[in-house]
Amino acid sequence: MPSISSTSSSTREFESPSRGRLALYHLRRNPLVALGLVIAASWFAIAFIAPAVAPIEPLKQDLVNRLASPGKQFFMGTDELGRDIFSRVLWGSRITIPAGLAVIVIGSTLGVIIGAVAGYAGGIVDELLMRLTELFMAFPFIILAMAVTAALGPDIRNAVIALAVVWWPRYARILRGLVLEVKSQEFVEAAHSAGAGGIYVLFRTILPNCIAPAVILATLDIGTSILSFAALSFIGLGPEPSSPEWGRMVSIGIDFFDQWWMWLFPGLAIASLVMAFNFIGDGLRDILDPRLRGE
Amino acid sequence: MSFFRYFLRRLILVIPLLLGITMVAFIIANAIPADPINANLPPNALNDEDTIAAFRKKWGLDKPLHEQYLTYLGNLLRGDMGVSIKWRKPVSEDIAKRLPATIELATLGILYGVVLGVGLGLVSAIWKDTWADYIARVIAFIGISFPVFLIALVLLNVFYAQLGIAVGPGRLHVLMRPPPTVTGMYTVDALLNGDWKTFGNALSHLILPALTLALYVSGIISRITRSSLLEVLNQDYMRTARAKGLRERYVIGFHGMRNSLIPVVTVIGLSYGNLLVGSILIESIFAYPGIGFYMFKASTSQDFPAIMGVSLLFAFIYVGVNFAVDILYFFLDPRIRVA
Repeated sequence: MPSISSTSSSTREFESPSRGRLALYHLRRNPLVALGLVIAASWFAIAFIAPAVAPIEPLKQDLVNRLASPGKQFFMGTDELGRDIFSRVLWGSRITIPAGLAVIVIGSTLGVIIGAVAGYAGGIVDELLMRLTELFMAFPFIILAMAVTAALGPDIRNAVIALAVVWWPRYARILRGLVLEVKSQEFVEAAHSAGAGGIYVLFRTILPNCIAPAVILATLDIGTSILSFAALSFIGLGPEPSSPEWGRMVSIGIDFFDQWWMWLFPGLAIASLVMAFNFIGDGLRDILDPRLRGE
Repeated sequence: MSFFRYFLRRLILVIPLLLGITMVAFIIANAIPADPINANLPPNALNDEDTIAAFRKKWGLDKPLHEQYLTYLGNLLRGDMGVSIKWRKPVSEDIAKRLPATIELATLGILYGVVLGVGLGLVSAIWKDTWADYIARVIAFIGISFPVFLIALVLLNVFYAQLGIAVGPGRLHVLMRPPPTVTGMYTVDALLNGDWKTFGNALSHLILPALTLALYVSGIISRITRSSLLEVLNQDYMRTARAKGLRERYVIGFHGMRNSLIPVVTVIGLSYGNLLVGSILIESIFAYPGIGFYMFKASTSQDFPAIMGVSLLFAFIYVGVNFAVDILYFFLDPRIRVA
């Protein structure tokens, strides 16, 4: 039945393109997003397979070969205790990626909930929560995170907690505005009159209509969160000194300024990962919310 | 609205904010650590009953929490931020000694940063989608994506170690004596003393760290300038300005810049936070003895009172700068004067 198949193929042109094809279309138009995705995916893969592919244990010391420059034996050289930089850089992804993502997930969830509750409840609750938000925004946030980490005691978990604690205010502010906007719409009134309770309406009716901007912001924020974690770790408020964490490795490398491989490679690892997420974030914003393009 | 009324109104908003900041700092210092005594006293003092008793008494640790806060606030108002564990000296004294160095660096840094950021943003917006735009955006992107400590190390390595055209770490050449202290800022003091050689040397030590800071803060500034100016360029009044025969220079310089400046000024205020954080990361690399280096040393040796002191100071500076930005709006945005 050739006629039928030709009809169906011609009607298909009027169908909206599948999600996959739409994604491909956008990737072709935003090559930087594709590049970012490739780099980020590579780092994710490295994080998974690092234990299998790293040539040497990241903590193994080899004092005979200390401060070896990059070469055949040690691709990225060794540090002051003869530990293999290449292996340490690979292993570092297993700390930085989860830490950076955890900050975003915890921080943005906290912000979304606080903002949503403030916007929905209104009145005194709104007033209190928003004054609290402003207070947190009055601090340069990494400084606040430094103080919190110092108080909790420096380690990876506390650095993540501290960053999450200072991360939420922007999300709260945006979500509150969106909830206020959506709250007055008819379908919310409909849900109320159908007998839905307040919490149900907020989380099932209102929130799904407000979440997209928060997701875009979260994607844009991943790079910053990785940088902030690296900064905390750089000044010694993250993992313990021997840990193969990038920021910490750079920080130890300062004392070995001439052994450039000690600080350059972990530093570039941070930069490449942050850049990848920034490419993705910027592209996603352009695709999902053309209003933010600023043109 | 008169300037005075506007100023007062803003000032009244700042006071609860500052109080709130001290409250947050108090909570972090006293409620989060498992044991504030452990966190605030050097390890060898923990066996000494007298020291502990004195510490309890000074900070009112045996009283209820709200009274502790008042004690804390009272001590703070007297300029008492506790005693550093590492240096065994009052934190406020150390901070006061190092603050001028950081002010010097940060001022130059934000100056470079604004010039660089606004410049790049202008180039990017005016020659949109040309190679100039792409280069400007790549520079901005590097400023945003690269860890500032990496930029600092690379610049120091290239310009000092490899090329030898920049001076090394520190504030002055090791054989030079600092100028007599007036402000504590070496460049200013040297000038006041008429000592051009010292001035030149101090300035040359500032250039590389200030440039690093500038690159760090200019990323965001140039992005905002670009998008803000692009938005303005499409406005009707721009077309009118061109249609009445104004030269492009004036169209962009007067009508364009003036109207796109407000978000840029906001962002400059906000990026002052980045500048402060940047100073911690950069001063540690350039061995530049300011507050940032102090914070770096304090946090690597877990000197809790010193960390809290610097955090509080930075929060105050940040609020102060953003207050100044608010005041600046009055002159930039005529709508405020009418409202």
